[in-house]
Amino acid sequence: MSIANQPLLELKNITKRFKDLTAVNGVNLTVASGEKLVIIGPSGSGKSTLLRSINMLEEIEEGTINFEGREVGYILRNGKRHPDRPQAISALRAEIGMVFQHFHLFPHMTVLGNVMEGPVTVQRKTANEARSIAINILEKVGLSDKRDVFPATLSGGQKQRVAIARALAMRPKLMLFDEPTSALDPELVGEVFDTIHTLADEGMTMIIVTHHMGFARELADRVIFMESGSFLAQGTPEELFSIAHDNERIRGFLNRLL
Amino acid sequence: MRNNIGRVLLALLFLWTMAGNCLGAVDYDHLFRQSSDLMAQGDLDGALNLLKQVPTPAPGEDAGAFVSSRMQAARIHASQKAPDKAIADCQEVLALFPDNSEARNFVAALREQAKPAWHTVLSDTIRFLPSLAKGALTTLLLVLCTMLVSPLGGLLVALGRISTLRPISGLCWLIIWFFRGTPLLLQLFFIYYGLPSLGITMSPLSAAVLGLGLNYSAYLGEIIRGAIQSIDHGQMEAAKAIGMSYGQAMRRIIIPQTYKRLMPPIGNEFIALIKDTALVSTIAMVELMRAADQLFNTYFNITALALAAVIYLLLTTIFTFIFEKIEYRAGIYEHR
Ligand SMILES: Nc1ncnc2c1ncn2[C@@H]1O[C@H](COP(=O)(O)OP(=O)(O)OP(=O)(O)O)[C@@H](O)[C@H]1O
Ligand SMILES: [Mg+2]
Repeated sequence: MSIANQPLLELKNITKRFKDLTAVNGVNLTVASGEKLVIIGPSGSGKSTLLRSINMLEEIEEGTINFEGREVGYILRNGKRHPDRPQAISALRAEIGMVFQHFHLFPHMTVLGNVMEGPVTVQRKTANEARSIAINILEKVGLSDKRDVFPATLSGGQKQRVAIARALAMRPKLMLFDEPTSALDPELVGEVFDTIHTLADEGMTMIIVTHHMGFARELADRVIFMESGSFLAQGTPEELFSIAHDNERIRGFLNRLL
Repeated sequence: MRNNIGRVLLALLFLWTMAGNCLGAVDYDHLFRQSSDLMAQGDLDGALNLLKQVPTPAPGEDAGAFVSSRMQAARIHASQKAPDKAIADCQEVLALFPDNSEARNFVAALREQAKPAWHTVLSDTIRFLPSLAKGALTTLLLVLCTMLVSPLGGLLVALGRISTLRPISGLCWLIIWFFRGTPLLLQLFFIYYGLPSLGITMSPLSAAVLGLGLNYSAYLGEIIRGAIQSIDHGQMEAAKAIGMSYGQAMRRIIIPQTYKRLMPPIGNEFIALIKDTALVSTIAMVELMRAADQLFNTYFNITALALAAVIYLLLTTIFTFIFEKIEYRAGIYEHR
């Protein structure tokens, strides 16, 4: 943890609406550098929307995002909020890695190509530099032998590990995981969690949306229970489970998961 | 039919013999008359025998009867479907009078008839092929130019259509609306005959490439737009999530994934294009269709049109084959 007293990410009053529906409703969140945050909550509670608001895949109606102490994403022009210049938004995204439920690997590129893509196209690294970065990261996620195959030939677990490698190749300061194991067969979940665990041990700051409570308990510094666009409760895993004891909604949700 | 021709022939023969009589040709009148009678009775062999009795004249002697008899024999032989014998008759005449045009023409006509059908087609083919090949090259040039121009135009129009900038998407919608909504023929006319009145003149080739290019850009534009929009939205998000700009994501991630999906419909359009080039014959370009049409109108020979069909088929087949190869290569990453 580099600058201990300054949070890496600070969300204030984030509100996102889809027409009449308020998907995220005035969320405040501070994430310290190196912190591992797990967000749980029922379907449609706004978890994905919140994650996607952080890296500007969704444009929020209200609130501010501070990343490394800078306000990012939006500018004021004539008293009105507008999304920042495309270059600034891209630069922000380059520092925040995102892993999707359905991987979204680039099918026309090999595994190595997928991982090299960011460094080459976004960071303008030479092919050689990018290749050695990619080779290193693929080794870390245990896929060195799959370097030259196309994603279509991989298992779900392998695909998700490549997707993690693709995000890591950008050397992000923050990683967002949106249900990284929900699309996987149960026997493939473990390998992806192991990979995320390794990353956590290295001190990566991360926000993970997941339904796997065992994983949350093992990994999280803090667990947030989200419902109807707001945070209903938060705390360490132990705290949250004790809160659940008294809160029927959280208890019901957890019971359904277990 | 054959009977009719026979009757006409006989009538001519009769008149001709009578004429000979009137002119007072010497000794052989009775032979001709008798042979005519035999022919009238249908005894052609008898008639031939009589005609053969007219001897070869000595040098200096009047040869009129001899020539007449042999030519008459040739006609009878020809009517009996015995061209060899007919030719032999004519050659008896030609042995004495090598310049006798009647005998020579008759021999030539017989020889022509004697040739097998494929021979005629072959000689027509050889005769027509140079101008058809020239036309085909022009067609190929048009096709290649349009194939080069229209995917680029189509991509621009497609990107314009999905742009969030209203003026740009509106303009591209208008372009597609116009060029898909009016006949290509009309567009070509407008460009070649209409634009000069606005002070813009161009060669038939440029006008043709412009017309075909715009028309096919409009069609390909819609195809390309469809292909781009069919790519999973997650691809654009994943590209953005690692920090790519919209342009980078399009160029590196989205558009390359459309190639495989684009090949079948674009191949289809290009096959149509090969045939649509025939329309530019209306703006003073001699491409394959025009060349074939000219030959047909000059020689009234259907072979020219058949050859054009063969060349069109050849072109479409070759291009179909190439497109299939490209499609396979473009989608190779999907093969497990
Ligand atoms: N693009 C969109 N347009 C309209 N409504 C949307 C859109 N995206 C999400 N929503 C709505 O916003 C609400 C929050 O959705 P979100 O995907 O964030 O939920 P979630 O907590 O991630 O649920 P899940 O666990 O099912 O992934 C839902 O009611 C959803 O229907
Ligand atoms: Mg979700």
